[in-house]
Amino acid sequence: MGISIVPTLKVLKPVGLIIGGGFAGLLLGYWVNVTYFADDAPQQPIDFSHRIHATDFEIPCMYCHVQARRSASAGVPSVSKCAGCHQEVATDRAQIKKLMAFWENKEPIPWIKVHDLPDFVHFPHNRHVAAGLECQTCHGPVETMDRVKQIAPLKMGWCLNCHKEYEVENGLDCWTCHK
Amino acid sequence: MNFFDRFTKGWQKYRKPGYYEEFDYAWTMTIDLDRCTGCSACVTACQAENNIPIVGEKAFAKGRQMQWIRIERYWEGEYPNAKLSFIPMLCQQCDAAPCETVCPVSATYHNQDGLNTQIYNRCIGTRACAVYCPYEVRYFNYNDHHWDAPLDQQLNPDVTVREKGVMEKCTFCIQRIRTAKDEAKDDGRRRVRDGDVQPACVQTCPTEALVFGDRKDPQSKVSKKLKDPRAYRVLEELNTLPSVVYLKKVDADG
Repeated sequence: MGISIVPTLKVLKPVGLIIGGGFAGLLLGYWVNVTYFADDAPQQPIDFSHRIHATDFEIPCMYCHVQARRSASAGVPSVSKCAGCHQEVATDRAQIKKLMAFWENKEPIPWIKVHDLPDFVHFPHNRHVAAGLECQTCHGPVETMDRVKQIAPLKMGWCLNCHKEYEVENGLDCWTCHK
Repeated sequence: MNFFDRFTKGWQKYRKPGYYEEFDYAWTMTIDLDRCTGCSACVTACQAENNIPIVGEKAFAKGRQMQWIRIERYWEGEYPNAKLSFIPMLCQQCDAAPCETVCPVSATYHNQDGLNTQIYNRCIGTRACAVYCPYEVRYFNYNDHHWDAPLDQQLNPDVTVREKGVMEKCTFCIQRIRTAKDEAKDDGRRRVRDGDVQPACVQTCPTEALVFGDRKDPQSKVSKKLKDPRAYRVLEELNTLPSVVYLKKVDADG
């Protein structure tokens, strides 16, 4: 009478099924997460469309993001900036009513940050605007997006490529960008 | 050229004698010990400017206090005739810095301003640089530090809050130097003028014992101070070529 591996395999079958099924579930979950819940284009508290504002009505970027050419941070426009137009314009829409609720409660809109750099990075918007860079070079075609999505990787190698290409003065020194 | 050649060539270029003479600026600080009263205003200013944590009693007892600039006290003689002298000790920004040669990941290096700099997010915390530093001015984050509710609002946004396991040191307030250079560029000037930039400690010193400037500019305040016959450098015999120059205190009895 020979020794067979079959009884052992029969015992292990349910365990194998559980592990295999679990693994397939993980893969499926990962795919669903990446495809439908990617955080590079988060759902914002108000469905603000850059396409309507920047393409259809041709409002320049720096009409709302006024701080971009003046300070390190480009800045999100204040609610009063939105209200400046929307007290008169398109007041019957659902999203605008949401906006005006923030305005009447005197609360800031809790926008979700899309282009987020780590705290140890010093990125001055004003220096880059002064150097003549287009907003789209780093942010992609935001004026065509209904919901803003991160296009560029915003990684160190990606920054350095540009600094090398344009031969930025001291552009490769660590302390130019780190802090 | 393969990687090894490139590496050795680059290293030779970096380490050839007098390489630091070719930099854009040579930031220097002079400290007049005759004027220093030991008031510690510079220590407090540095703490506020550079987000330096207050480590607390326990850590202090273990010798883990953090002060990028500290006032060292030296007593001479016994009580009735005791004499006290102060010396503010900060990173000497050595041109031939021992700490730079030892870092395995090049987190500390010499930049084009002749500053000895530290990149916090590159540091892996071997603490070798602190061992090599003859001035004992490098400080290690043994713990994560936090600031209680109203105090976190006064953190300087231009300086990172360092985390646990990272070495840190005086930067000569490099964030202010960077801002001054940006302003010079916006004004169409090629160089930063004397007096455009001051580290927090220099700005705060009530007796103007600390003077900061570029020693490449012969007209700068600091260049004139360097000609003083009292000028000396701490541990000069180690040949680290410090950028901080002390002016000796001269007593009535010599």
